[in-house]
Amino acid sequence: MVKKRIGSTLFLLCVFVVLYLPIFYLMFYSFNKAGNMTHFTGFTFDWYKEVFSDKRLIAIVVDTVIVALLSSLLSTVLGVFGALAIYLTKGRHYKNMLLSLNNILMVSPDVIIGASFLILFTLLGIKLGFISVLLAHIAFSVPIVVLMVLPKLQEMSPTLIDAARDLGAKRLDVLLKVVIPFITPGIFAGFFMALTYSLDDFAVTFFVTGNGFSTLSVEIYSRARQGISMSVNALSTLIFLITLAIVLVYYFSTRGMGKVKQLSGGEDA
Amino acid sequence: MTKKTIIQFDHVAKRFDGEIILKDISFAIERGKFYTLLGPSGCGKTTILRLIAGFLEPSEGTITFDGRMVNKIPPNKRQVNTVFQDYALFPHLNVFENVAFGLRINKLTNKEIEPRVKQALHFVNLDGYQNREIAELSGGQKQRVAIARAIVNQPQVLLLDEPLSALDLKLRTAMQVELRQLQRRLGITFIFVTHDQEEALAMSDEIFVLNQGKIEQSGSPRSIYDEPINRFVADFIGESNIIPGTMLKDRVVSFAGKTFDCVDQGFDEREAVEIVIRPEDLEIKPHGEGLLQVRIESQLFRGVHYEMIGKDEDGNSWMIHSTKSARIGEEIGLFFEPEAIHVMRHGETEEAFDRRLESYEGAGHD
Ligand SMILES: Nc1ncnc2c1ncn2[C@@H]1O[C@H](COP(=O)(O)OP(=O)(O)O)[C@@H](O)[C@H]1O
Ligand SMILES: [Mg+2]
Repeated sequence: MVKKRIGSTLFLLCVFVVLYLPIFYLMFYSFNKAGNMTHFTGFTFDWYKEVFSDKRLIAIVVDTVIVALLSSLLSTVLGVFGALAIYLTKGRHYKNMLLSLNNILMVSPDVIIGASFLILFTLLGIKLGFISVLLAHIAFSVPIVVLMVLPKLQEMSPTLIDAARDLGAKRLDVLLKVVIPFITPGIFAGFFMALTYSLDDFAVTFFVTGNGFSTLSVEIYSRARQGISMSVNALSTLIFLITLAIVLVYYFSTRGMGKVKQLSGGEDA
Repeated sequence: MTKKTIIQFDHVAKRFDGEIILKDISFAIERGKFYTLLGPSGCGKTTILRLIAGFLEPSEGTITFDGRMVNKIPPNKRQVNTVFQDYALFPHLNVFENVAFGLRINKLTNKEIEPRVKQALHFVNLDGYQNREIAELSGGQKQRVAIARAIVNQPQVLLLDEPLSALDLKLRTAMQVELRQLQRRLGITFIFVTHDQEEALAMSDEIFVLNQGKIEQSGSPRSIYDEPINRFVADFIGESNIIPGTMLKDRVVSFAGKTFDCVDQGFDEREAVEIVIRPEDLEIKPHGEGLLQVRIESQLFRGVHYEMIGKDEDGNSWMIHSTKSARIGEEIGLFFEPEAIHVMRHGETEEAFDRRLESYEGAGHD
C-alpha cells in the first residue's frame, strides 16, 4: 500500500516537473547577463529594466488589462442573465438545446471562432482594433460564465424562490435579494475564469486585431518570431507571477466560502 | 358562507399537462382553527397548499379568501404565509435577517422590525439566536426559524407543509405540542399537511382525509376515527378490523356467521356492508365466553399493549390490542360492545353518510 502511494506521488511529481520545467527554465534565463538561453554568465535585472522602459510594451500591457477587465465584467453580466434564462426555460428539450449551444462554443477551436469573428466584423464593417477584440473576448467569455453560474442556480432549491414570493417579494426583489446572493460564488468564479481566458487568449485576438492594436500574447508572439530577446522572458515571468497571484487570491477566497458550506453539510447529517 | 369562513374552495380542480391531480375539491376553512390535510404521499396535499398560497392557479372552480375571489392573485399579495417542507431558509442571511425578510420587503423601519423579529423568535423559543448563521442551526432550530419567519408577518392563515417529517420522533412529538399551543396563542388559522395519521389525530380541530386528489372524509379527529366513511379511511386512520357483513335490519348486523346488535341504521334490508371494529375495542375473554371465538396465530409486544392476530371459525383475521397476553395456538373468546361496531355502506358519498348519521345520532345513540 505504502509503496503504491510513493509510486503515485513520484509520478505526480514527474508530471508537474515536466509541466513546470519549461516555465522555470524561461524564468531562469530572464536573469541571464549573456542575453541567450544557452550559457548563464551572470545575474542581471537588465531585461526587466528593458521591459519597464519599453513604452509600447507598457501601453500594450495596459490595453490587455483593460480588454480583460472590461470583457470579463460585461460577459459576467451577460452570462448571469444567460444562465438565468436557461434555468428558467421550461421544457427539458429546449433547455438541453440551449445548454448544448452554449457548450459547443466552449469546445470549438479558437481558430474557428477567431476566423468566423473576422468574417463577421468585416461583413459588418467594424474596424479591427480595440472594439473588435473586446467584442470577440466578450463573446467567448459568456459561455464560460454561463457554465460557472448555472450549477449554482441548479443547486438552489426552487422553494427558496417560493419562500421569497410567499414573504411578499416582487420578481425583482427575488432576483436581487435571494437569487443573486445565492449564486455569487459562481459569479465570481465565472468572472475570474473569463479574466484569465481573456488575458491569455492568443488565437482569437490574433484574427480580429488590427490597426496597431495589440495584446500581450500577440505582441510576444510577433517579437519571438523576430528572434528571442530575454526581455520576452522577463515579461513572461512577470505575467506568470501575476497569474499565480490571481489564482492564489481566488483559491483562498473560495476556500473561505467552502468552509461555511462544509459546516452546514455536517450539521444536517 | 358564514362570517367565520376565511378560505373557501368551490369545485376546484387542478390539472398538470392534462393529467388530473385534484378533482372537484370543495371545503370551507374557518378563522382560528387548526386544520389538517391528511393523506398518502402523492395524493395532492402540497398542490392544495400551493393553490391557497397562490403558487398555482386552479384549472377549474374558484378559491375565495375573506369573501374575495383570489384565483389569479399572486403569492406576494396574499395574507398567507407558508412553512416549507425543506424550511427554505435563505442561506446567505442570518437568523435575524431571515425572519426580518418579509418586513424589509414591506419597507418597515429598523425600529419597527427589531421588536417584531425578537417577539417572533421568542414565540418559537429561539431567544438569543438572532445572530446565528443558518448553517449553524440544527434541524429543529431551522424549523423554528422557518415558523418565526412566517408568523412575523402576522398572516391570517399559516400553511405548514409536512413541517415535522424531517425531525426525529421525540422532537416531533414535542413540536406537535408546541405548534398546537402556538396556534392557540396566535389565534390564527393553521393548515397543516401530514401523512402521519397519529399526528393528525393529536393536533387538529378538523381533518380532511385525501386520497388520489379527492377528499374522502372531513370532520373532527374523533368522528373520523370512530366513524370512518369507507375502507380507505378506516385503514388509513389507525389499525382496524374490516370484515364483510350483512345488515339484517336497523341495528342488527350479521358477520362472521353470527348476528350482533349494533347502533347503525338507515340501510336497505339485507344490504351487503363492511363492518369496522378497532383492535382496542376487542376484549379478551376465556374460551367459550364472549361473542366470538378465535384462535391466536401471532403475538407482538408493542410496549403499552400486546398486538395479537386471531382467526375465527369463518376464517376472518382479527387484530386485537390488549394489555393481557395470550399464547399462540390458544382459543379465546372476544367481547365487544354494540357501539364498537361501525357499519360502512359501499360507495356512500360523504353527504349521504353525514345525513344518515345525523338521522339517528339524535336518538340517543353515539
Ligand atoms: N408542477 C407539477 N407538474 C406536474 N405534476 C405535478 C406537479 N406538482 C405535483 N404534481 C403531481 O401531482 C401529484 C400530487 O402531488 P403533491 O400535491 O405534491 O402530493 P403530496 O403533497 O400529497 O405528496 C403527484 O402525482 C405529483 O407528481
Ligand atoms: Mg407534499
